[in-house]
Amino acid sequence: MNSPNPFLFALYRQALRLYPARLRVRYQDQILQTLRDTHSETRHPLLFWPSLFLDLLQSSIKEHVLMTRDQAMRRPIFVHAVTLGLILTLMGGAAAVTMQQLLRRGADHPQIEMGRSYAHAIAAGARPQDLFPAERIDLRGSLEPFVIFYSESGVPIASTASLNSAVPVPPSGIFDHARKYQLDMVTWQPQPGVRMAAVLRHVSGPNPGFVLTGRSLFLVEEQEDLLRRGTFITWFAVMCLLALGALFLSRAESRRPHAA
Amino acid sequence: MEPAAPPELRHLPLSPAVLAILLALAEEEKHGYAIMKEAALPAGGGIALGPGTLYGSLDRLIRDALVEETGFTDDARRRYYRLTRLGHRVLAAETSRLSATLRTARTRTAAREARA
Repeated sequence: MNSPNPFLFALYRQALRLYPARLRVRYQDQILQTLRDTHSETRHPLLFWPSLFLDLLQSSIKEHVLMTRDQAMRRPIFVHAVTLGLILTLMGGAAAVTMQQLLRRGADHPQIEMGRSYAHAIAAGARPQDLFPAERIDLRGSLEPFVIFYSESGVPIASTASLNSAVPVPPSGIFDHARKYQLDMVTWQPQPGVRMAAVLRHVSGPNPGFVLTGRSLFLVEEQEDLLRRGTFITWFAVMCLLALGALFLSRAESRRPHAA
Repeated sequence: MEPAAPPELRHLPLSPAVLAILLALAEEEKHGYAIMKEAALPAGGGIALGPGTLYGSLDRLIRDALVEETGFTDDARRRYYRLTRLGHRVLAAETSRLSATLRTARTRTAAREARA
């Protein structure tokens, strides 16, 4: 009779540990006997072991899923805990996203007000070079708000900021959007590590062009990072408490003497 | 109040693997390997059952009282299984359900071919 390869047989026998213990104890001998029977008559020896291990993997996952479901159904406390966990996760996620959006929106101030004020003055005839403060900031390190005026074709005319000794220019799509809708608020990253909350406003009149006001997102993103970590730690702690609570209540329930 | 559905209907529809197992045991008791061989035949459903799938399904069928161990064994590692009365009723109900589906499919296919 054609005997199975001893190494693969031993490996399969060990792999039966993937099954839930109750099932393994009850059926291990029968499964191994069926394997021997099947092997002795197989017509595809090359496919025999791969298909056997694939079946073991698929069926063991299925058995664990079914066992978990059955256990949960027998103990409603776990169903309630999972439901509560899902609700808390959704609520916590929604709150975190809202907070993050509020932080990001807050980063557009005071640029919106600055931009409006400069745009009014330029539209009334003032020259940007005369309006803007003389000092220049370096965008790589400064947290100060800045303003840049670009011509209609996107060429920098006046600026209070520079990056690598030049005035940065945003992608042309942002100009197109501002030209169409008068205003565009974006997160602008002119180079890795330099991210800004930028507000671009289109200006008409004697000096047509665009006023870009911006400031570094460094502090805001630090706060967002803190919020993300805080949210995750809180969520993890709440889920642990929920799991421990469910386990405690379940054990207390199973120890309670049943009424006759 | 509506009358309760017959217990066999609660198990329908059967998965292909479960149908093949019940079909294999319909006439006589069999051990695991014999069930696998029968299920692999075209007339038995043509299902390639692995040992893991087979014994997992058998375990659930025993729990649901559709299958039982006979107690007879020619080897401690080779146990025999048979259908219970409920198992026979479930198989009959599934056969009837599949027959009705097949009749509908044949009628509709024939009508479509007649129109073409």
